[in-house]
Amino acid sequence: MLSFEFGLCINCNQCLIFSVTTNADLTSLPEKHLVLLRDGRTLIGYLRSIDQFANLVLHQTVERIHVGKKYGDIPRGIFVVRGENVVLLGEIDLEKESDTPLQQVSIEEILEEQRVEQQAKQESEKLKVQALKERGLSIPRADTLDEY
Amino acid sequence: MGGADLWDDVMYVFRDGEACVSRGGGSEPERGPRGASLAVGVSAPRTMFRYQSLEDCPLDEDAFQTLGEEDEDIDQFNDDTFGAGAVDDDWQEAHERLAELEDKPATARELEDGAVSDEMDLLGHHEENLAERLSKLVIENELEDPAIMQAVQTQPPMQQPGGLNSSIWDGSAVLRRIRGPLLTQILCPKPVHIRAPMQQRYPSPYGERMSPNQLCNVPNSSLLGHPFPPSVTPVFTHLQRAQLLGGAQAGRMSPSQFARVSGLVGSPLTSMNPKLLQGRVGQMMSPASGFRAFFGAPPPSAPPPSQQQQHPPCPGSHLQNLRPHPQMFRPDTTHLHPQHRRLLHQRQQQNRNQHRSLNGSAGDRAGHRSSQQEQLRKDPYANLMLQREKDWVSKIQMMQLQSTDPYLDDFYYQNYFQKLEKVSAAEEMHGDGPKKERTKLITPQVAKLEHAYKPVQFEGSLGKLTVSSVNNPRKMIDAVVTSRSEDDETKEKQVRDKRRQTLVTIEKTYSLLLDVEDYERRYLLSLEGERPALMEERKQKICDMYDNLRGKTPGQERPSDDHFVQIMCIRKGKRMVARILPFLSMEQAADILMATARNLPFLIKKDAQDEVLLCLLRPFSLVLYHLPSGTVTSLLQQLANLPQSVTAPAPANLHLAAVLQNKFGLSLLYLVLSRGEELQNSNAGTELMQDNQWTELMSMTTRELLRIPEAALAKPVSTPSNLLSLFSRYVDQQKLNVLETKLQLVQGIR
Repeated sequence: MLSFEFGLCINCNQCLIFSVTTNADLTSLPEKHLVLLRDGRTLIGYLRSIDQFANLVLHQTVERIHVGKKYGDIPRGIFVVRGENVVLLGEIDLEKESDTPLQQVSIEEILEEQRVEQQAKQESEKLKVQALKERGLSIPRADTLDEY
Repeated sequence: MGGADLWDDVMYVFRDGEACVSRGGGSEPERGPRGASLAVGVSAPRTMFRYQSLEDCPLDEDAFQTLGEEDEDIDQFNDDTFGAGAVDDDWQEAHERLAELEDKPATARELEDGAVSDEMDLLGHHEENLAERLSKLVIENELEDPAIMQAVQTQPPMQQPGGLNSSIWDGSAVLRRIRGPLLTQILCPKPVHIRAPMQQRYPSPYGERMSPNQLCNVPNSSLLGHPFPPSVTPVFTHLQRAQLLGGAQAGRMSPSQFARVSGLVGSPLTSMNPKLLQGRVGQMMSPASGFRAFFGAPPPSAPPPSQQQQHPPCPGSHLQNLRPHPQMFRPDTTHLHPQHRRLLHQRQQQNRNQHRSLNGSAGDRAGHRSSQQEQLRKDPYANLMLQREKDWVSKIQMMQLQSTDPYLDDFYYQNYFQKLEKVSAAEEMHGDGPKKERTKLITPQVAKLEHAYKPVQFEGSLGKLTVSSVNNPRKMIDAVVTSRSEDDETKEKQVRDKRRQTLVTIEKTYSLLLDVEDYERRYLLSLEGERPALMEERKQKICDMYDNLRGKTPGQERPSDDHFVQIMCIRKGKRMVARILPFLSMEQAADILMATARNLPFLIKKDAQDEVLLCLLRPFSLVLYHLPSGTVTSLLQQLANLPQSVTAPAPANLHLAAVLQNKFGLSLLYLVLSRGEELQNSNAGTELMQDNQWTELMSMTTRELLRIPEAALAKPVSTPSNLLSLFSRYVDQQKLNVLETKLQLVQGIR
């Protein structure tokens, strides 16, 4: 079975090293990988293909949303991710996978939680911006900074 | 006249059969062409006509005759160029041979059926396959892109006759192929002559030449539950397969040889099917990468009819010897991070153990197979990426890591590891237990190659191309910097510019600082001879830094503090001063201290938002402990802002008051006082005692301390312990008690 081990950011160019390993035989199950994207999404799936740009092909992908101690999985199917959007990629230890303090909930519930969280964040952000405006300062939004 | 220009000779043929020549240089022929009667005008180069001047041209009845003679010459010219008279160059033969390549497939069939003839190609090798020859002609490329490789193989699949006729076909072809390996190196795998469309992934595992009648094994792990329906199975054309297997040259491996090894091990081998192809697989060896000999057991059942598979031969004895050896060839893991490598081997060990346990029962093939099949069934999408492709990707990534100067390219990682090593070395010295192994990824280091950019040139052309590229940028716009005149600027602009100037100064000084800080490392790395030079450089840079800080002396005896104060108003400037101080000499450092103390209230005011002044405390204290008493006194003076000559003390010292109310100011004051006390206690203390100034300063200070309300007093970073004894010299007991409580000079329980 072929597996990738996870990437290290070891130089300023931020290239990910994947040590491509090959296992001796087929008795092991395929490894699941966890991908963190630049927009904050977390994808979990079987990594089927990769190239030098870190473009990924994920199979039986699941998008995992984390809110507080809870998480929910949304099945997404096959994902092809463009390399520039990948932040990191790691292998999931299947034995330890179930060994988390996090609690899995249904999709609806987690989406609701996420919505609530986003709302709270937006409100606090608004207050902050208001306060800054009163003092004559303005902080550019992070997403516009990201372009450069 | 059409394309003819003025200088050509133009021959006119008129309808009535007459011809005349118009000499170049004239626009009109001798006999002006009469529009309608002109049949054709032919422009002919002068050389064709051997007449040099107008007079020579016999424009009369002889004209035709002369022209007729010329015709023969023309014929001869033609002959020389194109006809039999042409010299038979070598290029022709070469051209023909090259053309042979294209003709080969077409003629292949005839040759196959006919006698076995020696086909020699350009390389003199016995090849009958266009693909093989092409692949040999292709320049070996380390980075052969698997995608490109696929794209190259676009030849239509050759449909071969099926069934029993194949034997004739194969016989000659295989015979020819047998000769092949005699000539080529072992490292070049042989093509597999395959008749039918095949599954994409299959190995060519054999370590030895097989007899032509043996079948090539092509098990396919994705056979069971292939993601695509069998009808859509990607078909490997004859050429593609040949390319894959035969294309590898020394050092290169074709993916299929290695890809599905794991798949192969477990994959079912179909029983030998004599109907299917014969083929031969040469030996592939590549120590450089993970070569795994394929050994597998025949599958339990016949393959589905829709998929024609290649089956392994009944293994010869040599194979059987190898058979029970399921160990995988150790892949090349040098490029892996040591921790990863260890993990990988551990996992391999585990798997091997599992494997053995599975096989425990006297090599129970059937059981082994079925369990593996099970695993396969669980994940039919495994191994979508061939090993070759994976190696290729990691090769690229390793190349990206090559660096000529890791300290420059990978600063943080290198520094991090250096720190770790220092810590572990320290631990080791203290005799701790086995230290944690800190392994470092060793990236290949390449020597720096000097590339001189040479603009592209063509042979035989005159002049050079003007090409602007990344390596050779050209100036496109003439941008001239014009400095604005002073009058035009408004006050605000001046202020802004001044601030910008300061910022630029800070940046420059910072680069100097970074360089100076780096000298230690360079020193260690350099040779003996270079070291004095390095020291010199370092000194020079330190001087430069100091000059930058204080502003280049414009000839005044005492440079103004203005420049320095400007720098200190900026947060980065303060941080930078804190870092520079350790490098300065004592006088320079004292000077900086003085300047700071002198302008402290102003700096405090400016620092209100940043609160970065505190970072200066540490270097300041370090400097203080080396200062002589005179300097200390002056310092205190600066802090208290008293002029040299003591005037009548003001009711309130605003300068000092401001200092006291600020955390940094107060802490600095304490440090100075503490130092003074130390000096007094030490041998040199007598000086201080005799110093009137010091006494006066002290009384002033204590007076201010008493005066200031407790609430306004700042909270210092630390209260030195010897302040109490200091104050006791100058104030009476009652005031001492007040000071004590106010300043919380005594810590802990009384």
